[in-house]
Amino acid sequence: MKLSASSAAAISVGASTTLMTGCARQPDNSLGLTFLTKDDADFIEAIAPVVLNKSYPASLSPEAAGERLVKAVDALINTLGEHSKTQLSQLFTLMSSAPLRLAVGAPFTSWPDASAEDVESFLVSWRNSMMGIKNMGYASLCKILSICWYSQPETFALSGYPGLPKKIPTPVS
Amino acid sequence: MSNRTPPIPVVAGINDPMLEGIADGWKVHDAADLADGTLLDADVIIIGTGAGGGTSAEVLAEAGFRVLMLEEGPLRTTNDFKMDEREAYRDMYQESAGRMTKNGAMSVLQGRCVGGSTAINWTSSFRTPAETLTFWGENYGVKGFAPEDMTPWFERMEERLNIHHWPVPPNANNAVLRDGAEKVGIEWKSIPRNVSSCWNLGYCGTGCPTNAKQSMLVTTIPGALKHQSELVYSARAEKLLLEGNKVAGVEITALGADKNPTGSKLVARAPHVVMACGGINGPALLLRSKVPDPKKRVGKRTFLHPVAFNFAKFDKTIDPYYGAPQTIYSDEYQWKSVDGPVGYKLEVPPLQPGLAAVLMLGHGSEHFEALQDLPNTHSMMALMRDGFNPESSGGDIELSSDGSPIINYEMNEYLWEGFQRAFLKMAELEFAAGAKAVRVSHLDSRWYTSLEEAQQHIPTLEFRANAFTAGSAHVMGGLCMGEDLETCVVNSDGKYHYLDNLWVFDGSTFPTSIGANPQLSVYGLACKQANGLVETMRAEKAAAQSA
Repeated sequence: MKLSASSAAAISVGASTTLMTGCARQPDNSLGLTFLTKDDADFIEAIAPVVLNKSYPASLSPEAAGERLVKAVDALINTLGEHSKTQLSQLFTLMSSAPLRLAVGAPFTSWPDASAEDVESFLVSWRNSMMGIKNMGYASLCKILSICWYSQPETFALSGYPGLPKKIPTPVS
Repeated sequence: MSNRTPPIPVVAGINDPMLEGIADGWKVHDAADLADGTLLDADVIIIGTGAGGGTSAEVLAEAGFRVLMLEEGPLRTTNDFKMDEREAYRDMYQESAGRMTKNGAMSVLQGRCVGGSTAINWTSSFRTPAETLTFWGENYGVKGFAPEDMTPWFERMEERLNIHHWPVPPNANNAVLRDGAEKVGIEWKSIPRNVSSCWNLGYCGTGCPTNAKQSMLVTTIPGALKHQSELVYSARAEKLLLEGNKVAGVEITALGADKNPTGSKLVARAPHVVMACGGINGPALLLRSKVPDPKKRVGKRTFLHPVAFNFAKFDKTIDPYYGAPQTIYSDEYQWKSVDGPVGYKLEVPPLQPGLAAVLMLGHGSEHFEALQDLPNTHSMMALMRDGFNPESSGGDIELSSDGSPIINYEMNEYLWEGFQRAFLKMAELEFAAGAKAVRVSHLDSRWYTSLEEAQQHIPTLEFRANAFTAGSAHVMGGLCMGEDLETCVVNSDGKYHYLDNLWVFDGSTFPTSIGANPQLSVYGLACKQANGLVETMRAEKAAAQSA
């Protein structure tokens, strides 16, 4: 595997930045989040329309869709093992710094201002990279966003899934 | 598009045997409700309530011993099973179904709730293949596991869990495998299932809403609780407390509703401790406990049955989310050679949309357009039989700095060769069954509209981690069973080689993968070994009384 020197350096800087600032990652209390920061939430909301394409925001308003997705992603990450959590916090830390983003092929522009083209070219470059760690970042982001989003009932009409049967529980006295 | 409704739109009138039992006075506790420092005691502690723990608990409880069952996951019961992927993954799966290998390349679906993976599996129930049992005897010195030795134990558990060939026709998703096999002229068979009065809904993976699946939750765990046993859930076995050559007790961390520690610790004590917490959490518990392990073999030879997926589009409705998820299989490519190029089993996965979106790994319009066709989509999968060839020595379990497990399992060229063979065979079967387009779960795969196109392109797909979806729903090994101390840490009775009263009765002791969905292998092994422990404990009791 060939590593681009600058990318490898930036990713390791990302890792050590995370280690140094591990305690500084402040989950976004305004949304009741336990893992994701405000910057992380911005990042997810910026890539969601590109990753999830026309399934997003489904029948929800963009604001409601963003909140639903961010909360679902946060809840999932909160239950991951420490190893996966650490890797994701490194990824999110990279994505929250403009110079680090630039070094790893992500847009320099802040995420809320990034265009769909910026996001697409970032995703494609990570998907096709010869660096295993970028492939892993791409796959992890796609998998986490996909499972959190396509299990939401508001998306069922778009996937053609007629939906689940209704369960009526039997109370136990 | 979707004004259709599920074939059975409402599920009602189903009782909840666990809640009824609790209302009747069964001893079931949330660890978070017990005071910090609570001391629990029993004749035997069982850690984990999946296939191994549930089976062992009933055997030991019916023999008259007081069993304490510890479960890390929460208690979810029939009334909770609403077929909603979101709730099921959050409440019943390890890491909310987001568990991955260290390099992220493989997703690992594993249960984490009372009943363990039996509460969320797809009901396929195969006896351990004779080839596998023979291989264990010949290569690991495993004693008492010859095919004829195991037959009575499989028969016993088949009867207990109503395992039988299911007479209902397969859903359209499974019918593709059957029809493709017929056209191509290879062997296919129907899958034995552990169900009773199954409604054919398709939601085995989110907790059976009708009590049809004979999981541990509705069979052996209630069986044990009826016999003076106790269950404590949301209780993580943090550490085994060692005293000389014995386990003196188990240190337990109480977990809250958010799955994080509440701050309370409990301690459980018993003359015997049975581990049945699986091939990932079991080795992690032993590593955290620093048990004697002179050859450093704890957490080695972890097998996952790495799974390759294909997707196929049809010009008819498949509805791959409805109907019993797994009913047809083919072992045509499984035993061409026991220890040569990797063999695989062909089956079909259910495709509820959340899971489908993950398996179809990708982003953007291509990914969305594939999902838009979900009602017309079929998926087939090939489960690689890892662990039989020197090129397939499995993965290993490491500890993270907080003591949680890391699954280090690398796909290699040996397994990739099997993936490529399987991609091609599955495409052949799918086109033979009438597929209009086929895609393999590799990022560089396109939708092939003919078998010729697939055969040209699939061999050019590049092997690199994270470029293709490899999944696993079967965690095996990690605490290898056998008499060869160079490799094995558990003897053929399931006793840990280096401690006198520690037993391991679950799939973590398999010396290789099984080559079939492993639940019945675990049931048979646990039933046999738990009965062995009953004899040991009775002998100890008799000796104590005569002394």
